[in-house]
Order: sequence, then structure tokens, then C-alpha cells
Amino acid sequence: MKNNIIRLTALTAFAAISFTACKKDKVTTPEPVEQELITTVRLKVTKLDDMSIKTFTYKVENGFGSTRQGTVTIDSVKLAANKEYSVEVELLNEKETPAEDVTKEVKEESNEHLFVYQSSPTTGNGSIGFGMGNKDGNGNPFNQTIRFLTAGAGKGAITVTLKHEPTNKAATTPDATGGETDVEATFPVVLQ
Amino acid sequence: MYRILIAVCIWLFAHLPFASAQDNCNIIVQCRVVETHNNQPLFPVSVYIDEMKREFETDEDGRFQITNACAGIYHIHFHATGYEHLVKELKIEGNTTLKFSLAHIDKELDEVVVADEHTKTIIQSKSQLRRMDITANSGKTLGDMLQAVNGVSVLSNGATIAKPVIHGLYGNRIIILNNGIRQEDQQWGSEHAPNIDPFLANNITVLKGAAGVRYGTDAIGGVVLVEPAAVRTMQGWGGEVNLAGFSNNRMGVASALLEHGFKYIKGLGIRVQGTLKQGGNYRIPGHWAANTGTRESNYSATLAYKKAHFGAEVFYSHFNTELGVYRGAHTGNEKDLLFAINSDTPTIRAGFTYNIARPMQHIRHDLWKLKLNADNRAGAFSLVYAYQHNFRQEFDVIRGNTDKAQLNLTLNTQTLNLNFDHKAIGHITGQIGIDGIYQENYMQDGDRLFIPNYRSPGVAAYAIERYRWNKLTLEAGLRYDYRHYEVYNPEGNNQAIVRYDFDYSNASGTIGIKHKIKPNWEWTATLANAWRAPQANELFSAGLHHSAARIELGDKNLQPEKAYSLNLETVYNVPDKLHLEASLYTQYINDFIYLSPGADILTIRGYFKSFGYKQTNAWLNGADIAFRYNIVKPLEANLKASFLFARDVTQQDWLILMPADRVSAGIKYTFNISKSLKDVFVGVDGRYIFNQWRIPANFDAIDNPRPPAAYTVLDAQCGVTIYVNGQPLYTSITIMNALNQQYRDYMDAFRYFINQPGTNVVVRFRVPFNFYGLKSKN
Repeated sequence: MKNNIIRLTALTAFAAISFTACKKDKVTTPEPVEQELITTVRLKVTKLDDMSIKTFTYKVENGFGSTRQGTVTIDSVKLAANKEYSVEVELLNEKETPAEDVTKEVKEESNEHLFVYQSSPTTGNGSIGFGMGNKDGNGNPFNQTIRFLTAGAGKGAITVTLKHEPTNKAATTPDATGGETDVEATFPVVLQ
Repeated sequence: MYRILIAVCIWLFAHLPFASAQDNCNIIVQCRVVETHNNQPLFPVSVYIDEMKREFETDEDGRFQITNACAGIYHIHFHATGYEHLVKELKIEGNTTLKFSLAHIDKELDEVVVADEHTKTIIQSKSQLRRMDITANSGKTLGDMLQAVNGVSVLSNGATIAKPVIHGLYGNRIIILNNGIRQEDQQWGSEHAPNIDPFLANNITVLKGAAGVRYGTDAIGGVVLVEPAAVRTMQGWGGEVNLAGFSNNRMGVASALLEHGFKYIKGLGIRVQGTLKQGGNYRIPGHWAANTGTRESNYSATLAYKKAHFGAEVFYSHFNTELGVYRGAHTGNEKDLLFAINSDTPTIRAGFTYNIARPMQHIRHDLWKLKLNADNRAGAFSLVYAYQHNFRQEFDVIRGNTDKAQLNLTLNTQTLNLNFDHKAIGHITGQIGIDGIYQENYMQDGDRLFIPNYRSPGVAAYAIERYRWNKLTLEAGLRYDYRHYEVYNPEGNNQAIVRYDFDYSNASGTIGIKHKIKPNWEWTATLANAWRAPQANELFSAGLHHSAARIELGDKNLQPEKAYSLNLETVYNVPDKLHLEASLYTQYINDFIYLSPGADILTIRGYFKSFGYKQTNAWLNGADIAFRYNIVKPLEANLKASFLFARDVTQQDWLILMPADRVSAGIKYTFNISKSLKDVFVGVDGRYIFNQWRIPANFDAIDNPRPPAAYTVLDAQCGVTIYVNGQPLYTSITIMNALNQQYRDYMDAFRYFINQPGTNVVVRFRVPFNFYGLKSKN
């Protein structure tokens, strides 16, 4: 009887020690790295008339996934009316120094990605029409580079959407393409 | 296949008219087991009848019932920890009531103390799933299985992830005790199902309402006790094999258990158990649900040693699951989500496959438990130490080629309980004890930030005293908890680690009264409180829910939630005639933590809705009613209903995401065909879930679409116990959603995207076996 109690007490004491013993071991707090972070969409726009180059930036400092967006920079896309432009979209992670070029990865997986462009208004002054874009490895649209055909002078907006694993690459609106949105950037447009 | 099954059911039906007339094996024997010295009921006592090869277990009142017995002579074995092994020879001639008494092993003690849990009971509104209920639902997840309990519903992510909801509360507001150990498996997440293999359980008890005193912090909504049978220490072999096949997702489940009582070391027993499960995409009416497969492999081992006044047990269990998450529920931004919601057909087309792709979860849960107990003249002591390791990996849909998980969360928990049940002082029995807990939660380098790392120790002390006099039992308990959190949160633009320290402490109390007005009629009233500290996700979460396409924001200034609940319950029982259980409850929760909509946040993926954790005062009122009636003896009808009114008192509005009212009804016909085909049953069950119209006024702004319409689902089942040379084989066929009904449930996170699963035909087999080392004699 007594033996049992002694046994239990000893075990309790032992357990209590082992319980508190594991207290101050180091907890390494990992550097949180947002996977696949994109902070910046850059449009590199070349005027076909004179091959002059302009860049427009859409940047949310903390990209995606953070609860604080940080500084948001959105350039107005100022272009000449009734001209044709060759456009290349670049994606960057500027949280890294030097900035990481995410475009490369997206290009490598062009089969699983699609850039979709929308103009508001869709036609008329201030609108932009979209010409042919580049293709993915299977010959389907990828549109990382594309032609812009500006309409008459006016104000509007364009939205650049990057879709991951779209179900229909021939579609021209983000809903119809299916898949998940990786990037959605809306630039104000001024055509002069 | 389907047709054959239906044919079998019809064949069974065809036997109905003459079946009951065929033999005279319809004797019912009511049994009660008490302690020799003080006449107190004993439970759990496992009972085994040689000739029938059937096993029973006593309920809290020490009772069990032998049904469908034929006249004859039987040998009946009684088993309970700390008590002598009793074998009785019985001559059964007709319906009768019998009483058995077991003596404590130590004959020197004239005054017997309560050993272990045998007469321990806490006064609380409760329901139980017995061995047979568990068998009838084998292969289902724990959450799904618990839906059979009145007042319990589920919060689900499709058909494979289900969390129990007790009286409208879930997650951190309920506790699951796995083999006596508080399960710590990151239960804060709504898509984190309990990591428990239900095949471990011999019975599952649900305590409804606050039960903070005995079970500690977080037991606001209730407690689920998953209890395995006592390990066999009587010499010989025993065990069982369970098999189940599900047609809908072509899922197979196999589970086996083997136990052995050693011959040369008396009192030493071992049990090993394992379960394998694999299912593919499940089918909703008209479509396959993409990437909804499931895989599970679990095993456990127990080694137990029992002597007259000393017992020791070591238990280890391993749970391992891979779960596919419906591909269409993983959306990029609010527009994607809206498109998926508005689409009539699943946005992702799929066929059948067993493959599980991203998005998916992979979870491992290990539990080590050591239990020591001893008793002497003063009472019974027990010491339980447990270590749990929970490792949860979530694999997102990502760009690039990697097999790495985007979330690798580890939660290590150590718990210690020291309990002392003192001997009866007059009519008073009771227990005092201390609890300790130490937790560490951490993620891995490179993880998507979701909840920060933390460390948390806690201690508690409690006392519960019970006064039992005639037909009245009074119970009162007190507990004091202290919990500390040390959180390391990355903050600001450079994500520097900031340390936070939180201290929470609170007292809980309970008062219960149980009155047996007549032997078959009792009522219970419980007034109790419980509390919980805000969890790390509520304090710090700062991230996106992919399936909800919204950002959730924690609040460091949240206060602990405090709940006060009052439960009234009455149980009226006329064996084999009727059984009525009615309970009313009211619960007031101070500083109830909930998600409230905030400002839209602009991200590189466009605007997102944000939700912040806020506090309010909530008031939950409800009722559960269950009624069982034998119209004629073999024909049993049952009716169940649950209602819940959940109010936000501060804003005078309804609370969001509360289960809708429900009613269910069923009818079951049981009969015997012959000596080798017994306990044959056919039954139909229907349940009607109301549309949840009790929603907040701003519902449209925070959730979309509105709660789905009311629905009715019909299930049908039939089964038979086949005896081959006296060896029983339990088999049954269940058809779930027999009409292939299309419906959605408000508490299902996939209700935005797809319907609930269609028809599912389940075939089950269970073969228990038992070999005694000695031929029974006494």
C-alpha cells in the first residue's frame, strides 16, 4: 500500500521535473518568406513609330498575403492616341534585394499561365484595343507580350490579369479563362 | 452491385411475416452490476457470454440488457479493473431482471474505495454512442459519426473533413478527449478535422454544455470523450476485424484489433490495433468532385498491467492522413470566388481518381500516454502524462516545381494530470487534482505566414465533490486555471520578430443536481461555467483563406471568452417500450470572439474583403428532444429534434454560422430468422434540415450566397448477424442519401461551390473473436 504511494510520488516528482525541464530550449523563429511573392507589375511599352520605350509600374509594396499593403504606386499609362505599341509585361518581387524577376518563372511555365487584358471603355475614345500576343509551348495564347492599339484621345483604364492554370486559354475575360488569379492590376489610362 | 444490395434487403423483408414466429429466442434479461460492499453501480464493466459470443458493457447505472436470448444455460463473465473476475452460470427461462455484485480484489479492505473510473460520473447533459452505434457507422470520420448524437452537427469542408459542433459551438470551444487525453491537433482551423481514428473507440460520450471544471479551459460548448475498452488482462486472445466499403468514392476501410492477456504474468495485457483507409474523388449528383480523395493509415498499441491496488498503462497511437481539398475551392481572388459561386456546374471538371493533388493536407498525429494508478484506504490516485506531436502540412496550388508544403505547422503538447478520488465520507465522494500543460507551436523556414510561433505553459487545480443520498445526487466543483503565452510575431515591413507575453487566469465552477424520481425517470440540472483564452490565430492571424478568398486579421487585445451555461435534462425510459430524452439549455458567452467584416484591402491580386476578430456578448438557447417508441415489440420508431437560437446580444442580431434547426425520424424492424441468422434489421431514416433564416442583418455584405434551402435526406439500412458455429459475423448494408438528393448545407464550407455527395452504398462486416485460456468455470 505504502509502497504504491511512494512509487506514485516518485513518479510524479520525476514527471514534474521532466515537464519543466524542457523549458528554455531555443525556438528559432523562421524568416517568413512569402512563396511566389509578386509585388510589382511593370509594362514595358515600345512605340512602334520611333521605337521609344516607356515603363509604367503598378506596385503594392507588400504584394499579396500581407495584411498591410504598404505603399501603393500606380502609374497612369500615358500614351499617344491612335498609335500601335508593343508591350511586354514584367513581374517582380521587390521585397528581395536585388529585386527577383518572377517573369522568368512564369515564362518557363507558360503552358500553365495566361495574361488577360481588359480595357474600360472597351471601344471609343480612351480605350485600348489588344492585338496578337505571344504563344505558350503548345501554341496556345500566353500574351506575356502583346500589341496595344490606342484609340482616340480620352481617359480610361486597363486591367492586366495573370491567370494560373486556366481551363480555357482561348477565352478573353478572366472569368471565362477559369483558373486562379495570381495578379490583377488596374492602371488608369490617359490617351493624348 | 446496387441492385444486388437492394435485392438482399428485399429478401430480408420477405422473411418478415413468419420470422418472429419461427423460434422462441426473444427473451430479454435486464441486468445490473453493483459493488458488493456499498451497492453502488459499477461501470464500465465488460460482460461476455460464452454461449452467445456476445459482449456487453454496463452503463453508468451499472445496467445492461441481454436481448434475443433463447432459453438455456449460459456462462457469463464480468470484468472490471480492480475487481475480481466473476463467472456465473445462468439458467434463462423467460424475461427476468438480475443483479450481480462484484467484490473489490483486495479482500482485506473492509471499506472499499472507488478504484479508477468505475463509479465516477459527472452530472451533465450527455449522450453516448455505444459499441453497436459505432459499428453501424464504421468507416466514417469521427465528426460524421457524431452527427448521430442529438444536439451535435458538423462543420465541414465537403465529405472528408468534418468537425463536431455541439450546441452551435466548435473548434476551440469544445474539447475532444482521446483515451483520456485532451486532443491538441490545431483545432482552431475550421478545416482541421480531429486527428483521431474512431476504430479506437469502444464508446463515444458527448457532454453538452460548459464542462470547464473537470476538463479545463475551452470546454465551453461541450466535451467529446473517445474511450477505448479496457485492455484485456484475462488470459487468452481476443480481437476483431472490421471491413467497410463505400460505393460513392470507392472507399475501402479495414481495421483490426488484437489483444492478449498473458498467462505467466497475471494482470499483464497487450492490445494492438490498426486501420487503413483509401477513398477517391467523391461523387455529387451528376459530377465528380475534383481532388477530394482521402487516405488514412493509423495504428496504436497499449500495454496494461493491473494488480489489486496498482495499475499501469502505456499507450501509443499514430494517426496519418492525406486529404485532397476540392480543387474548385482554391481561388485566387474575390472575382474568381464569385465566378465559382455563380457557376451552376463545378468550375473544375474531373473524373474518378484515387490520386490526391494540390491543394491537399497531410497530417500526422502521435500520442504517447503513460498512466499509473494506485489505491489504498484513503482513496484512489492516478497520474497521467501524455505527449502529443501534431504535424500539419498544407500544400497550396503554386507556381514552380516543388514537393514542398507551403505550411508546415508543428504543435507539441505535454499534459500531466494528477487526480485523487477520496474514499466516501458518509455520502460524499469526490476528487481533487492538478493539471499541467506545456505547448509549443512553430512553423518552418519559408512557410506562408499564418500563425506565429508560441510557447505556452499552464497549470490548474480542481476539486469536485458529490453527495449521493437515496435518489438524489448533488455535485459541486471548482477549478482555477492559469495559462501563459509567449508569442514571437514577425511584424512591420522588415518582419522583425516581436515578443508578446500574455497571462490569463480564471476560476470555473459547476453545480449539478440529479434526481431519480422513479427507477426509470430522472432529471438533471447543471449550472456551469467555462472559459478560454484567445488563441494564437485570433490574436495574430494575418493571412488569406484560400477557399474563402478573404483576409483574416487577429487582434492582440482580445480578452478571454467566459461562458455560463444552464442545462436541464429529463430521461424517461421504459425498457423495450419507450425512451424519452429532452433537454433545454441556455448559455451566455461573455466576450464571444467572432469575425467581423472590415475594410477592403488592395493587393497585387486586386481587392480582398478583410475580416477582423472582434468580441461581443452572445446568448445561445436551444432544445434537443429524442423519442424512441416500440409500436409493437420488434418495430421501433424514433424521432429527434434540435433547435438553436444564437443571438448577438450587444448588436441585437443573430450570430453567423450557427447550425440550422433539424428534425429526424426513423423506423426499424428487428427480428430473427433462425439460430444462425439473428438480430436481422431493416430500417429507414429521414432527416430534415431547416433553412437557416437566423442570420445577421448584414449577411449579404459579409457572406454570399445566403444559407441554402431546407433539405430532406433519406437513408436506408438492413443488417444481420450470422452465426457460424457460434461465431458471430455482423454485417450490414446502408444506403446514404438513397434518393441521390441534390442539396447543400449551411455549415459546409464547400456549399459555395458544390453539392453534398450523392448516393453512397456502404457494406460493413465486423467479426469479433475471443479465445479464453481457460474453459470457463467457477
